[in-house]
Amino acid sequence: MTRTILVCCGTGCRANGGMDVSLALTAAVDAAAADANVCCVTETGCSGLCELGPLVRIMPDDIMYYRVRPSDAHDIIQKTVLESEPIERLLFKDSSGNHVLHQADNPFYGHQKKIALRNVGIIDSRSIDEYIAHGGYSALARALEMTSDEIIREVEESGIRGRGGAGFPTGRKWRSAAVLESSPKYVICNGDEGDPGAFMDGSIMDGDPHSVLEGMMIGALAIGAEEGFLYIRDEYIQAVKSMKKAIRAAEKRGLLGESILGTNRKLYFSVVRGGGAFVCGESTALMSSIEGNVGEPRAKYIHSVEKGLWGCPTVINNVETWANIPVIINGGGKKFAEIGTKDSTGTKVFALVGKVKYTGLVEVPMGITLRKLIFEIGGGIPNNRKFKAVQTGGPSGGCIPASLLDIPVDFDTLKEYGTMMGSGGMIVMDDHSCMVEFARYYVNFLCGESCGKCTPCREGLRHMRSILTNICNGYGREGDIELLEMIGSTMIDCSLCALGSSAPNPVLTTIRYFREEYEAHIREHRCPAGVCKALTAFSVNHAVCKGCMACTAVCPTRAIVQLNGGFPIITKSCNGCGSCRDVCRFNAIEAVKGGRV
Amino acid sequence: MIQITIDGVSCTCKKGEKLLAVARRNNIFIPTLCHHDGLPGMGSCRLCVVEVTESGRTKVVVSCLYPVRGEIEVVTNSERILAHRKMILALLRKRAPKSDVIAHMCEAFGAPDLPVASFDGGKCILCGLCVRACDLIGAGSVATRTLLKKLAGQGCAYPVAGAGVIAMVSRGTTKTVSTPYDEPSEICIGCGGCANVCPTGEITVTETETGRTIWGKEFKFAFCKECGELLGTDKEVRYAAQRSGRDPDFLCPACRQKRSADAMAEPFGRR
Repeated sequence: MTRTILVCCGTGCRANGGMDVSLALTAAVDAAAADANVCCVTETGCSGLCELGPLVRIMPDDIMYYRVRPSDAHDIIQKTVLESEPIERLLFKDSSGNHVLHQADNPFYGHQKKIALRNVGIIDSRSIDEYIAHGGYSALARALEMTSDEIIREVEESGIRGRGGAGFPTGRKWRSAAVLESSPKYVICNGDEGDPGAFMDGSIMDGDPHSVLEGMMIGALAIGAEEGFLYIRDEYIQAVKSMKKAIRAAEKRGLLGESILGTNRKLYFSVVRGGGAFVCGESTALMSSIEGNVGEPRAKYIHSVEKGLWGCPTVINNVETWANIPVIINGGGKKFAEIGTKDSTGTKVFALVGKVKYTGLVEVPMGITLRKLIFEIGGGIPNNRKFKAVQTGGPSGGCIPASLLDIPVDFDTLKEYGTMMGSGGMIVMDDHSCMVEFARYYVNFLCGESCGKCTPCREGLRHMRSILTNICNGYGREGDIELLEMIGSTMIDCSLCALGSSAPNPVLTTIRYFREEYEAHIREHRCPAGVCKALTAFSVNHAVCKGCMACTAVCPTRAIVQLNGGFPIITKSCNGCGSCRDVCRFNAIEAVKGGRV
Repeated sequence: MIQITIDGVSCTCKKGEKLLAVARRNNIFIPTLCHHDGLPGMGSCRLCVVEVTESGRTKVVVSCLYPVRGEIEVVTNSERILAHRKMILALLRKRAPKSDVIAHMCEAFGAPDLPVASFDGGKCILCGLCVRACDLIGAGSVATRTLLKKLAGQGCAYPVAGAGVIAMVSRGTTKTVSTPYDEPSEICIGCGGCANVCPTGEITVTETETGRTIWGKEFKFAFCKECGELLGTDKEVRYAAQRSGRDPDFLCPACRQKRSADAMAEPFGRR
């Protein structure tokens, strides 16, 4: 039996030495090839469970190994490939300590349903042949035989909404562009994923670039466009490379260029690299950037489908939206609409990061509860800490407290609770997170990323930052909370673009759900979570301390000393970073009120 | 023609007309700072926000850019709008603490004095009018740059830069208006169009008998050869002549008219 060894070379696994594992496996295969028609080693895109990378999967047995080192390569080939024996030390252990052999039996994967990520982590993303072998470009062939109206009807029926965050119905967007008589028209792929802690789009472009291209081709056929642009942030070196390569391969195969698959339809795609502005993920700013101007949003009273790039009708969709399209055309819109909820159909890819046991990339049906996402798929909070909040939708998303863990994740519900779907970032926080500091951090990020064109966003963010910084440093005043709410309300109503109107979300949701933390900072100069350095000191509870001295090893300022071989004591050189508290397994280190009295 | 109501007043307008223009035509007051009838809209100050209700849904829009496309109801002075205007003005006062215009508006609208630190700025509110003016009429305009490039091939007197004289520099909270690298601009003609449209008087122009200084660059004045009247800066006159494809004659309109009249009268023996 010929086997395929899939080695994850997504960003996380690559950083953990995935490439070295792949090289070691190839060498081990070569060494063993004398006595077997062994297998081939394939480097794939992100397989999802980044926390336990590098990941190796052996097909068709579907044996999955985690945290593989190059030194394991010999064993994998000798035992698993040649003798079909699993190696226990490399298997996943579930919560009850049992070894899990197959990917689907791992709860992290078990609850997922992969549509946008259908090939990511399974195929060699650099090979168009592999994509075609997995059913790729069959949807394009089908679309070439359909009328524009038929294609759009399928997309409308699927109910798919924009995966970039705004959740606009994709079918309706295409329809408005298709009915316009003017020419030229453009399709754009928005791959300017700039949210801290989000890597969904990058992983798709890196791991299955052709699915994005195929979606865009179908979109171009539907609206009558002959040119498309892929706007990818320049920091995604891998995605830019992989997308450019995919375009060249598709051109060679006659899927792009003068004639698509021998028909009289023309189509040209090119990659445009972003210049490092978060705001260029906003569609009008993105188009301005492609045109060669400064990436500043403009008023959207006339939609891009009427007047977009260079004033022409333009359909702009997010990477993930495009990747879903071939599945909709192949399987039919009706079938797609059966997944998810009534108003948010299909699946959504999330980047699960922060204080969660299994960080990584997951794709789940819409309407899944946050609890299931964080505790069943993500494995809960590491070190048995308490869950405190989760931020959804990137830096301008709000946070959801523990009391709301059972709400379904879909476009409308999240909005109702003051946050948003965004592009799918999920940042989990434990009880060592201060919500005021959290709001300050994101407001500070947005201060640097606002384009500065309109008053509410530019000035509002600046003052929000200074008010929040004061609160964190113990200089908060009565009335600050109300002032934040007032500024926030003007930003929501009056900002020019969605960056400004969603920017107050982190502040307003933390006020809404964690007001008592703000009040503790302002009235008592106390940081309940023990994060704000100006208000926090640490002390060792000697009744609980076991004297293991793990804290001294991590202290950056050598502030923890052992007196006469006894328990550790924290001295004045403590800078309040809290590393000791995080590392202590006995919860012996407590945050107490300190600093400003 | 479309019928809309603004603050209960019925107004008629063409499709695509901007809401602000319709309101002003009907003597309904909406305050603005970054709007100028002669320049393209930008929607940066957000002072002209109004509430628009269309098929039962109400949203806040800026009237300077909102095109009327159907029957809508507009309210320009609801509680919500007034509160936002006050906040916007209050924020602008912190941005431009030295501006009398903004201080005066804050007083008129009853904007609160926010208990936050002022920006150590002058009078600039980053409305972008100066940049748009330069792009449209001054040496920064695209049309001009194209022309200058063409002329550069024919030994043009002005070096051709790739950008306007002034632009918005940087982004977010550190945005400013400036010339490239804050150096005196090579292509500025000293026309003063930017200072002319500035709502708060931030752009300073100092003038003497013989010249003008703006954006850190000195310009000599040009005077009419015949009567000595001030024409503008020397560069301005040459630039205008270049754009009209003639050699500069350094005459004021009256003297130019007289010269033409004399030239026409000559054949009739009236000189």
